[in-house]
Amino acid sequence: MNRGVKVLIILLAVATITLGIIALSDTYRIGQREEIDWNLTLLGDEEKVLTYDEIVAMPSYEGHGGFFTTVGMKNGPFRCEGVPIEDLCNLVGGIGPSDTLWVSAPDGYMMVFDYDQVMGDFTTFDPDDLREVSHGELSMILMYEQDGEILSDDDGKPIKIAIVSEDELMTEGSYWVKWVNRIEIR
Amino acid sequence: MKKRSIIQLALILLVCVLLVSIALTQDKDQDKEKIRVFYAGSLIVPFEEIEREFEKLHPDVDLQMEGHGSIQVIRHVTEIHEGVDVIAVADSSLIPDMMYPDYAESYIEFATNEMVIAYTDDSRYADEITEENWYEILKRPDVKFGFSNPMLDSCGYRTLMVAQLAEIYYENQTIFEDMIGCNFNPPILVNEKNGTYIIVVPAIFEPDTKKVIVRGGSVQLLSLLEYGEIDYAFLYKSVAEQHGLRSVDLPSEIDLGSPEYEDTYEKVVVQLGFQRFSSADIDRIGKSILYGITAPSNAPNKDIATEFVEFVMSEEGQSILHEMNQPTLDYT
Repeated sequence: MNRGVKVLIILLAVATITLGIIALSDTYRIGQREEIDWNLTLLGDEEKVLTYDEIVAMPSYEGHGGFFTTVGMKNGPFRCEGVPIEDLCNLVGGIGPSDTLWVSAPDGYMMVFDYDQVMGDFTTFDPDDLREVSHGELSMILMYEQDGEILSDDDGKPIKIAIVSEDELMTEGSYWVKWVNRIEIR
Repeated sequence: MKKRSIIQLALILLVCVLLVSIALTQDKDQDKEKIRVFYAGSLIVPFEEIEREFEKLHPDVDLQMEGHGSIQVIRHVTEIHEGVDVIAVADSSLIPDMMYPDYAESYIEFATNEMVIAYTDDSRYADEITEENWYEILKRPDVKFGFSNPMLDSCGYRTLMVAQLAEIYYENQTIFEDMIGCNFNPPILVNEKNGTYIIVVPAIFEPDTKKVIVRGGSVQLLSLLEYGEIDYAFLYKSVAEQHGLRSVDLPSEIDLGSPEYEDTYEKVVVQLGFQRFSSADIDRIGKSILYGITAPSNAPNKDIATEFVEFVMSEEGQSILHEMNQPTLDYT
């Protein structure tokens, strides 16, 4: 075999092995869940503190959703995975029709939701032109994975509120509280 | 020999192609100095032009512009701790209230505005509405109107102020309740104390009729007007003009646009339903609309940030704002 051809084959082999190692190391990294030190305080009839791992271990819900800012900047829609807020409320006595839900974060941000919203009653918008559109069943979740990845710091790592459904719809961004560390039923 | 040369040549070409591809995919702005400017949503249109002109004068600078609600603009500096070079907000008093002394030492008031009722040719009673009867038109059962959420947007709490100031100006104590209050459940309460009217916004702020539509930001009302989903919207005059809308100019006593009526405006306070931001008070006191700009103390690129502020305040900058229908202060 010509020497040049041999060199080419060797180069290709080295490249293939290198790519293989990179792919394997990525798989290994994904396989290992990052340790996240984060507590969520739930306050209802009783108080409960959940770690990030305990939240992730709860039965999850997956749907699609995105949001836009007050000036119309669009984010998403994304594939969102997390725990239904109603399930979290049920851990501390549940939420009733006359209750409100106060969600806050350590950056000093707070948002208040009524019972209907916790049950999925939000105005939804078309992702293309942001015109109001009707929707099927919506769920308000505490999201920990976005498009299959844990959240980035800017996106509210490790947990944020998301409003999701089977369809790819948008909701107002003020509801998508980032870095949630306290949920209180009043 | 010939075959070997071809392979060598192919390898060299491959390397060249790779290098050229890498070079081409590099962001051509990568070497430019990146300056982050966060500004109030109502400045979107004039600041697009300001950006274009400033970058023409400074080809080595890449302005990265982001619009938010005014309080959120400041929180990006003070609470989310992002490196922001310049902030411009629709309520100049927020700068000393939320940024002094750690994040700012001074600011400049650079623009103003006033509240109007915006509409289109297709709005119901478009040919009837005037400065004298606007609140009667908005109350009509077949008329729909919108405003932004006072919990989220300065134009929203200023709308409530306008409605209450209208009661004083027109000497009609039913305007607020009949036009706005009756469409909400839980209700919006107005308490009078020593001549000051305190409008209490409930934590859940949602209309329970189809007559009124509330959106997170006033910019979102534009498409509702455009598609005829509402007839009228409470907007800043600059925003209405920038989008070619018709508008009813309100009397100076209620439009929040005239510093000489500061004493009148102060008679109205909007108390927000909950403390959405721990660093911002829940009371919004009526005052004339003044925009403020500053380079935060921790701006990563202080020198060029200061140049940007100077450009906005320069004759050229002020002239751009004027051309874009953004009213400015007269410094002459």
